[in-house]
Amino acid sequence: MPKLRRIIHIDMDCFYAAVEMREHPELANRPIAVGGASGRGVLTTCNYAAREFGIRSAMPVFKARELCPSLVILPVRFELYREASRAIREIFKRYTDLIEPLSLDEAYLDVTHQKRSGAELAEEIRQAIHHETGLTASAGIAPNKLVAKIASDWNKPNGQCVVPPSQIDAFILPLPVRRIWGVGPKSAARLTEMGIETCGQLQALNQTELASEFGSFGLELYRLCRGIDERPVEANRVRKSLSNESTFSKNLESLEDCEEALMRQHGELMEDLRSSAPDRKIAKVLVKLKFSDFQRTTAEMPAQQAEPKLYRQLLREAWGRSGQPVRLLGLGVRFAETDSSPEQLELGI
Amino acid sequence: MKFKINKDHFSNGLQQVLNVVATRSTMPILSNVLIEAEEGHISLTTTNLDLGIRCRIKADVSDAGAITLPVRKLATIVRELPVDEVFIETSEKNQAKITSGGSLFKIMGISSEEFPPLPTFENRKVFELSQEAIVGMLKSVSYAQSNDENRYILNGVYFNFADEKLTLVATDGRRLGLTALETEISEENAGSLILPAKTVAELERLMGKGEKVKIAFNDRQAAFEIDIDEAGDSGLVDHLYLVSKIVEGNYPNYRQVIPKETEHRVKIERELMLECVHRAALVTSDKSNSVKLKVTKNLLEISGSSTEYGESHESMAIAYDGPEVQVAFNPQFLMEPLKALTKDEVFFEFKDELSPGLFKTLDNFICVIMPLRLN
Repeated sequence: MPKLRRIIHIDMDCFYAAVEMREHPELANRPIAVGGASGRGVLTTCNYAAREFGIRSAMPVFKARELCPSLVILPVRFELYREASRAIREIFKRYTDLIEPLSLDEAYLDVTHQKRSGAELAEEIRQAIHHETGLTASAGIAPNKLVAKIASDWNKPNGQCVVPPSQIDAFILPLPVRRIWGVGPKSAARLTEMGIETCGQLQALNQTELASEFGSFGLELYRLCRGIDERPVEANRVRKSLSNESTFSKNLESLEDCEEALMRQHGELMEDLRSSAPDRKIAKVLVKLKFSDFQRTTAEMPAQQAEPKLYRQLLREAWGRSGQPVRLLGLGVRFAETDSSPEQLELGI
Repeated sequence: MKFKINKDHFSNGLQQVLNVVATRSTMPILSNVLIEAEEGHISLTTTNLDLGIRCRIKADVSDAGAITLPVRKLATIVRELPVDEVFIETSEKNQAKITSGGSLFKIMGISSEEFPPLPTFENRKVFELSQEAIVGMLKSVSYAQSNDENRYILNGVYFNFADEKLTLVATDGRRLGLTALETEISEENAGSLILPAKTVAELERLMGKGEKVKIAFNDRQAAFEIDIDEAGDSGLVDHLYLVSKIVEGNYPNYRQVIPKETEHRVKIERELMLECVHRAALVTSDKSNSVKLKVTKNLLEISGSSTEYGESHESMAIAYDGPEVQVAFNPQFLMEPLKALTKDEVFFEFKDELSPGLFKTLDNFICVIMPLRLN
């Protein structure tokens, strides 16, 4: 029998919007959203005042404006969010070394080794976050990552939810199957066809039935819908690449327009590199384009530095493959592996 | 269930299905083989839920019936039995009695009713092709499949039935193998699938002895009905049947990474180059796993080196009159396509130290290999 673990999933409450509210106290009570620099972009996130209008993250700007004409849309300021994220990670480190960040605003903490209860620790961590950064966080506390992550959503915002081992059944039975990781729209649709909406209903299927519908993933489902998840909290995942991208409100019709956008984004990329990967060796640079017909292409080349002229060259190459107006432009770097063996070049597929 | 069977036939049948067992302990029946006895033959079926295999063996069946038994243990026992005649009889409680000469085994099984059936499926596209051709094509590209789980789309061989030919492609992002076979394809039968690596490996093992293979697929599954070798005394009857999940998703646009033109082309003797690369690679190590190709007038030199072991140098004559070019490759990437091909004459194309090298044959085979950066 494996040792019973205690996992905390910390999820910051509408993180980017919360940071902006802290920076703009005068806007704190108004519906605000972050992202969607252009008319066709999408919102990255929004605050709770905006959510009352039905606005959600990843919603197109024009739709958000329809729902709430008074919505304040602020540009994304990653540097600010990264700084807040760093401060929060420093707080986590006081409690455990086993931290697995999922993004700037979300992380798993394994606190099995601590004497105090997970709930008490989560409470203290959330208070420290609020005290030191002025932001609020929600937490889920459970014996595994699956349940902890779902639980952190339970008493949002600024709340937490503990699911002790004895209550996993009660917690998981009524959950919609869509909440299980790995169940995407396709699998969910197949389950709906079979008349299954909740984990409880899913539990009625035996391994053979699940397997005949989903193959070996069926066996995973069999465990997950019972709240069983043995994945460890993995600290120190090494980042393999860094990139940014923009969707434009108006398609870029000429190569010159693309170059202009490229240079703007290049500045942002350099800033990201300085702040989040200053000591990594670059192996490759790449430019990604999505055209008006939604075809995508990526051009990349080996390089030690993220020089503008290389990006211009890649842009010309990628542009030349289609000739269609450009809808989305992205650029980035891939980092070299950390060992010293000769570098294997990639096909770029 | 009760039957008499030839030991070698039984053993041979178990060998066909042995590889497809699940390693997870959550469903113990997946480590078992389903044995179904009908008139004149028994069927042996194994599955790991993603891939299932069935074969039929001739047997003297006196009572029809079914049971599942642990396949690896059973295969070991059957192989060791003392005489050719083997008798199998099941009792209640899912036990099988195996007797042969003076040997008696009673083996615990699991009820056949708990065995997950192999899937059946609708809306299929169906092709009948030569086994020899398909197995050769698979072998000429399968080494290039990716085993990086993060790129699961590449964890298989892409089959594309279109434009009057079947094209097979495999790539791991650093090299790419492609081969094609002209074949008749009706409009409604055109389509593509990605066959998982495990299934590819089983097909390479099972095919090539009989004449034809019938391939049927839809957007979730693929099935292969493999003719058996009629000539030998294998005990196999009917077909081998294999049904597999396919990798769901869109295969990347591989055409864009195949160079339209390369600057230099030399004809090489396949086996000679294979031997030279193999020897040159003997002194390389995990840390410096590369061989350098240097092409000068009428000469191809292949060298390897590492700080641990030292240096190697091989040379072979070629017909070449271009500028000097040096380019380094992972030796495995050169050897695998050379090994997989059967034609003696192969063309090697190249441009410079940062551009891909290509192996080509006259019968629709291409292997694109990205180099290692020379220090």
